[in-house]
Amino acid sequence: MKTKQTIAVIGATGNMGSAISRALSNANYRLLLFAKDQAKLQTLVEEIRKSNVVADIESVDCSVNASWEADIILLAVPYQAEKEIAEKIREVANQKVVVSISNPLNTSFNGMVTEPDTSAAEELQKQLPHSKVVKAFNTTFAADFSTPVIDGKQVDSFIAGNHEEALQTASELVVAAGFYPILAGDLSVSRTLENMALLLIQETIKSNYDWLAGWKVLHH
Amino acid sequence: MYDLFFKKFRERIDLSPEEEIQIKSYLIPKKIRRRQYLLQEGDICKHIAFVEKGALREYSIEGGTEHIILFALEGWTVADLFSFLTGEPAVYTIDALEDSELVLISKSSHEELLQTQPKYETYMRLLITDAYIALQKRLTSSISLPIEERYKNFVETYPDIVQRVPQHMIASYMGLSPETLSRVRKKMLNQK
Repeated sequence: MKTKQTIAVIGATGNMGSAISRALSNANYRLLLFAKDQAKLQTLVEEIRKSNVVADIESVDCSVNASWEADIILLAVPYQAEKEIAEKIREVANQKVVVSISNPLNTSFNGMVTEPDTSAAEELQKQLPHSKVVKAFNTTFAADFSTPVIDGKQVDSFIAGNHEEALQTASELVVAAGFYPILAGDLSVSRTLENMALLLIQETIKSNYDWLAGWKVLHH
Repeated sequence: MYDLFFKKFRERIDLSPEEEIQIKSYLIPKKIRRRQYLLQEGDICKHIAFVEKGALREYSIEGGTEHIILFALEGWTVADLFSFLTGEPAVYTIDALEDSELVLISKSSHEELLQTQPKYETYMRLLITDAYIALQKRLTSSISLPIEERYKNFVETYPDIVQRVPQHMIASYMGLSPETLSRVRKKMLNQK
């Protein structure tokens, strides 16, 4: 596709937000970055422009305006902040693809704060009934974006959602970021994906992977 | 965000508040900046765009030259209809002449609304009928009227476009070179 799609990255200065923004700035997208800390955001935008002079990237000082201008809204914020943002952007996110990357982990990293019969993505979908929520990038660490091939294997990135078009869009984002996309199923599969992230985080801490680790389905 | 969209809708067909809420749930609010593309030739046109605020143009590019087929100001609807309806690559490009606010309707939403909301179907039929009539008028005028008449008609029918759009684009829309249009305008000024 020649026509550039605009992505609003909400929470762009976080670990994940900045990693995703850097990765996608190399692809055919226009990026609108939003973060609460505008000074930090400016620094990030300048850094990205320095490493890629043709990057189509801009900072925006309002999450609603960024989302209004966007075709795709990427919420790169923790689960706890997701609700608040979703409330703000509900109207301008109507019928748009909203990517949820969050993992609703408790503070001791040994379980979820969500009930077992739901997930962060499904909760977001309830809050944004007319948006197309997809789960993506929650099983990949921030460091994976600069090293999407680990130990000779391309990291898999799992996607879940209920809308065909939105899954396609998310799959393109995953490919643009350098990962191998796996369409895992409808939005309820987010429960599995969020638990996969929990397991990966636990293993990473236990085995000291230095936050460079990922999931890979091996097959013949 | 959708004020003008529903104002225009209500000018043709009455809507209950419930019907408005139902239709609204399918609409995409989208801002676009000046010079940004909504659609580039060769891509598939995935949306019908209604202009809430601002101005867009639709054009084809032949051998590096732009041929404008449509200006869309507030209240107008723009799409590469052929591409939208068939899923074939678009032959037209659409970009913004000013920072604009749009209301987009995707193909799947359009089809679902046609199925579930008879008033939407009626409204769409009226829009397409209007567009067809406008196209016939334009065709007749461009094959049968002298240039001066055509320009005079254009200025009378679309004074807003003349105000807001650069002359060379109006020339392109009329199939004239900028020099020819400039000559015609001078001549008309002298006649006044």
